[in-house]
Amino acid sequence: MSEKNNNNIVFPIGPQHPSLDEPSCFNITLEGEKVINAVIGVGYNHRGLEKTCESKTYIQDLYIIERVCGICSHAHSTAFCMAIEELTGVSIPKRAEYIRVIVAELERLHSHLLWLGVACHEIGFDTMFMYTWRNREKVLDILASVGGNRVNYGVNTIGGVRRDLDESINADILKTMDALEEEIKYYADVATTETTLISRLKGIGRLSHEDVIKFGAVGPVARAAGVEDDIRVTEPYGAYKEIPVHIVTDTNADVYGRTVVRIFEMQESINIIRFCINNLPDGPLTVRTPRRVPAGEVIARVEAPRGEDIHYIRSNGTDIPDRVRVRAPTEANWHGVKHMLEGGYLADVPITIAAIDPCYSCTDRATIVKSESGIRDMDWRAMRQYGIDWYKKQGIDLTVFKR
Amino acid sequence: MHEEEIIESLCNKFPFLNCRIYLQKEKRIITKPLLREEFEEVIRFAHDELGFYRASHVVGTDDGENLGLLYILSDHENILLALRESVPKTNPVIKSVSDMYLSIILHERELVDLFGVIVEGLPEGPHYPLPDGWPKGSYPMRKEWDPRYFNKDTMTYEGPQEEKQSE
Repeated sequence: MSEKNNNNIVFPIGPQHPSLDEPSCFNITLEGEKVINAVIGVGYNHRGLEKTCESKTYIQDLYIIERVCGICSHAHSTAFCMAIEELTGVSIPKRAEYIRVIVAELERLHSHLLWLGVACHEIGFDTMFMYTWRNREKVLDILASVGGNRVNYGVNTIGGVRRDLDESINADILKTMDALEEEIKYYADVATTETTLISRLKGIGRLSHEDVIKFGAVGPVARAAGVEDDIRVTEPYGAYKEIPVHIVTDTNADVYGRTVVRIFEMQESINIIRFCINNLPDGPLTVRTPRRVPAGEVIARVEAPRGEDIHYIRSNGTDIPDRVRVRAPTEANWHGVKHMLEGGYLADVPITIAAIDPCYSCTDRATIVKSESGIRDMDWRAMRQYGIDWYKKQGIDLTVFKR
Repeated sequence: MHEEEIIESLCNKFPFLNCRIYLQKEKRIITKPLLREEFEEVIRFAHDELGFYRASHVVGTDDGENLGLLYILSDHENILLALRESVPKTNPVIKSVSDMYLSIILHERELVDLFGVIVEGLPEGPHYPLPDGWPKGSYPMRKEWDPRYFNKDTMTYEGPQEEKQSE
């Protein structure tokens, strides 16, 4: 419920709200339709993962770390593995480095496609939402064929990777990249020429170059304001040391700029994936690493889809870490959101919040349905049929669209 | 400015940093634990004079009788400068650096909730990240805090040795 404060209205958005895909609370003070103050409340998803890591072995922690985020799970596990490998003085095989990059860029593609769909949905452009999510399925199918799952692929392990890429998967990836490239060209065309989209996004949620510096924003939010900040280039790690990566920037410094950056970054990801597959070295996937990690501390960082992801690990010489600290990119971008919202309008709040791409949880496509007859698994085909049948009961026959 | 130049500037300005600051590897400069006054001088100099414009985050650590606070800063070259402050658990008081680094507020709130650090000068606002009603004086990231003794239904913590924390 909103409350009146002098002549202003304090309007709570969240922790549960249709425009938020995860729990967080924004107390927005309004003067008419204008936002004059925003108080951000986060922490609803705190699960105590860092504390849990202090009671498990490094290899067990890897699976916990991968579940910090459903979307950029590979980025987190890569940073964690890099930190342990540095502490143990291990260099992973070249083939493993390249596979890590391929999966990382596939993850960036699916994350950006997901974001583009959500952003279009927030502004009522649901056709684009459907298009992008349809294309995201192609990327998720590849990730499922590589790692056996659509999210939390389990590709990384300490000392290398657990999954190999054979000729047939590589051919599939290249074929999908060709198809996806055409789609992304279309999205780029829409984003740069479609006047309704441009007018809806331009000037919204501004965070200037100076503000990015002031608030410490990272990732596409920073690059959309012309800040050339990308760990893949500024501190290349793994195979990125050998791969040409171009930083995509924009100067609009608003939601439109963030959209353009993400669309063109997808093209860049496709180029990187092609380079990796065409230059994939032969050799082993892992090297042996000691279970006990020598005492020490390390700060590892990678460029996740949302920006710089930092992992701090302190070891005490045992097989259990003394301290694990994860700084996800969204944590760095929250500070700028308050500034983006203030001075804007209430109707722009959802798209402004969505534009930093806050970390959403993601679930596997298989769902478990509880019924009187017990619990049963449902695959994609069965779930689709369930949806069609459910709507039919409501008097809507979706099968007519086939005809 | 390269890593060696940064270390040289810091050591010239603050002689007490000699032998207490080291280059861990490329783009990683780390200090050994600094006293509160030393830390405040060094972080201000790093911000004002050396161009460390971004505070990425703070890592709280339980070091036995002390709490360690590792402030990780970065500059335009993406060099990380990790400044470590150490305070006793019996009087865990630090000064907020949010006047220099706005982005640090959330991380300093985390130190308050999870480690029981008292951060002077921290702007008022909602606590983070623990839920409302969390038992007072119960700091889950301290080593002595054991999740087995936390009752989430009654939101009470009755550890084997109840620690009376300084408020």
